[in-house]
Amino acid sequence: MRTAEEGFELRGPSTPPGVMLRELWAARQLLVILARKDFYVRYRRTVLGVVWAVGVPLVQAVVLSVVFTHVVGIGRSYASSQQAYAVFLYSALVPWNYLANAGPSASTAIVDNVALAGKIYFPRALPVLVTATSAIYPFVIGIVLLLLMSLVVGSGIGLSFLLVIPAAALAVLLVVCVGLCLSALHVYFRDIRYIVMAVLSVGFYLTPIIYPLSRLSAHHHVLRDLIAMGPGAGPIEIFRAATVGSDSALTLAVVACACWCVVLGGIGFWLQCRRDRVFVDLL
Amino acid sequence: MSNEPVISLRGVSKRYVKYDDQPMLANALRLRARSKRSSLLALDDIDLEVQAGESLGVLGRNGAGKSTLLQLLCGVTAPSSGVVKVRGKVAPLISVGVGFHPELTGRENVYVNGTILGMSNAEIDRRLDAIVEFAEVEKFIDTPVKFYSSGMFVRLGFSVAVAADPDVLLVDEVLAVGDFAFQLKCFARMQEIRANGTTIVVVSHNLNVVRGFCDRAVVMSHGHKVFDGPTFDAISEFYNVVGSEAASDPTTGELATHGAVIESLSLHNAPTGEPVLHFDSGDEVVLRLRARATTDIANPVMGMTITTEAGTVVYSDTNLMSPFPALAAGEAATYETRLALTLPSGGYYATASLHTAEGGHSVVLGRAVPVTFYVSGRGLASGVADLGGTFHRADS
Repeated sequence: MRTAEEGFELRGPSTPPGVMLRELWAARQLLVILARKDFYVRYRRTVLGVVWAVGVPLVQAVVLSVVFTHVVGIGRSYASSQQAYAVFLYSALVPWNYLANAGPSASTAIVDNVALAGKIYFPRALPVLVTATSAIYPFVIGIVLLLLMSLVVGSGIGLSFLLVIPAAALAVLLVVCVGLCLSALHVYFRDIRYIVMAVLSVGFYLTPIIYPLSRLSAHHHVLRDLIAMGPGAGPIEIFRAATVGSDSALTLAVVACACWCVVLGGIGFWLQCRRDRVFVDLL
Repeated sequence: MSNEPVISLRGVSKRYVKYDDQPMLANALRLRARSKRSSLLALDDIDLEVQAGESLGVLGRNGAGKSTLLQLLCGVTAPSSGVVKVRGKVAPLISVGVGFHPELTGRENVYVNGTILGMSNAEIDRRLDAIVEFAEVEKFIDTPVKFYSSGMFVRLGFSVAVAADPDVLLVDEVLAVGDFAFQLKCFARMQEIRANGTTIVVVSHNLNVVRGFCDRAVVMSHGHKVFDGPTFDAISEFYNVVGSEAASDPTTGELATHGAVIESLSLHNAPTGEPVLHFDSGDEVVLRLRARATTDIANPVMGMTITTEAGTVVYSDTNLMSPFPALAAGEAATYETRLALTLPSGGYYATASLHTAEGGHSVVLGRAVPVTFYVSGRGLASGVADLGGTFHRADS
């Protein structure tokens, strides 16, 4: 077996893992250019352009902090002031928004790319990587904004802010792993699209975004641990550690997230290798 | 190594599983045998080799397996059994402009599409000017392609695809793009690519394209390769296949008859008398109609029409003014008309009917199912009839 550049040899539907990795590596330039195209296209023809990548989550953070401090009234019990709560909230919203934006599109990436996939070969895992990558641009802008917010209205930052880098990397890895697995299943079960949407809307409350994990530990140890083990909690807890201080469940959350990545990524990669060349038959 | 074929298929079959009913998650989890699953054998045990620099045509009716074969050669899908081997970089020239995004400018789309086709950034930088010039979109290269005319869109798509400089070029129906001038330009470019030693596979309904490019062609029928050889013979074979498939198709049986049964309609080479479905322009042919009367026919008359594949009547004639001798019920007769096929390249239909002349009017007794045939025309002559034009300079 050789890579696309030198031709190919097909015997049955599955692609050996080594070949798959080589095909993906050979397609790296395509990944970059498609991800950039995705991002450009999203904001082209809008007057404010990329400002929307920052504006939307910012509005969301302000609304949520007002609602949860003044209307629901839980914000004040988690943070000293509304501003501090806003930083607390935004530090989770930045990774959460990345997961919530890139996750669903990565999960349907193979089917969504049918027009191209039916005409020319590239590893079917590539669109998954493209969606995970193109969402990194607004993610980075969000992180910069979080930095400014911590400096201006928060309690300042230290060297620990650098933790956002591994945190972001973990979030990207999670989206890739979930995407590899679900996008393959989505070819066979189109229900996946709706399941992902439902899981995300529940997930917003089952992930420590509007509340800290530590609040749960007093009464509900098991519940706290379960929530910390949710796949999204890992990156969020590292973001918290980078900005407003770490939680006692940080390690648990990170280890759990890594396990999710290994399991989903492993299954996903196996599925991609098995079905790479025959997905198109069902599109 | 060098005499190893560029494309090699050995015992390749492709089976598609069709779900009459989409599989539901619940069914899958119960691992229930899905009774509504049926499969379709799109390709059945195909062997094929194409050497470097060869250009191969693939002929077949819809559903014969042409598209599946092309998808296998692109590597888009894998065979259910057998081995597909392709050496070198493959570029499909199918559905040009796939991957073009309407909001992106021509230039941006060239980069995206070029990368999809396997060009590096540096290669695209180098070839950008040539691509733009060939597509004739210099003034609009920084305009979003959604403002392009459909001609510009297709020209740019084609231009990028041929710039990719592949080892194997797969061509679908795309050559029917743009205006006539651009088609000629594409044609010339394709000849150039072929001359450079690129292996070309053409899958097209347009036999003129196949005839123009390919020295060799295969004919597909119901997933089998039924012929592999010189293009001229392949086109003949293709028409034989089309004819026999039409004959075995119950929906195109004998058309309405009211007094005569049409037993056969066939085309023959006039000098030799052998049945043929592929002619050179100018060949003398005989259209032979065999019919059996079911009632007494006083003034039997033969009518015939030749149309293009698009249905334009090329020629129609009848001997209404001088009918054949009377035919008794149960009697059979063979009628012929001799024609000179001075036609441009293309596929045509010939049909004939039996009438009876009653006081200057004709009453239809039976119509034959049309026979399709192909004419290899003279040079680039096109249109409805070949008027035999020659070109020369008159003032010297």
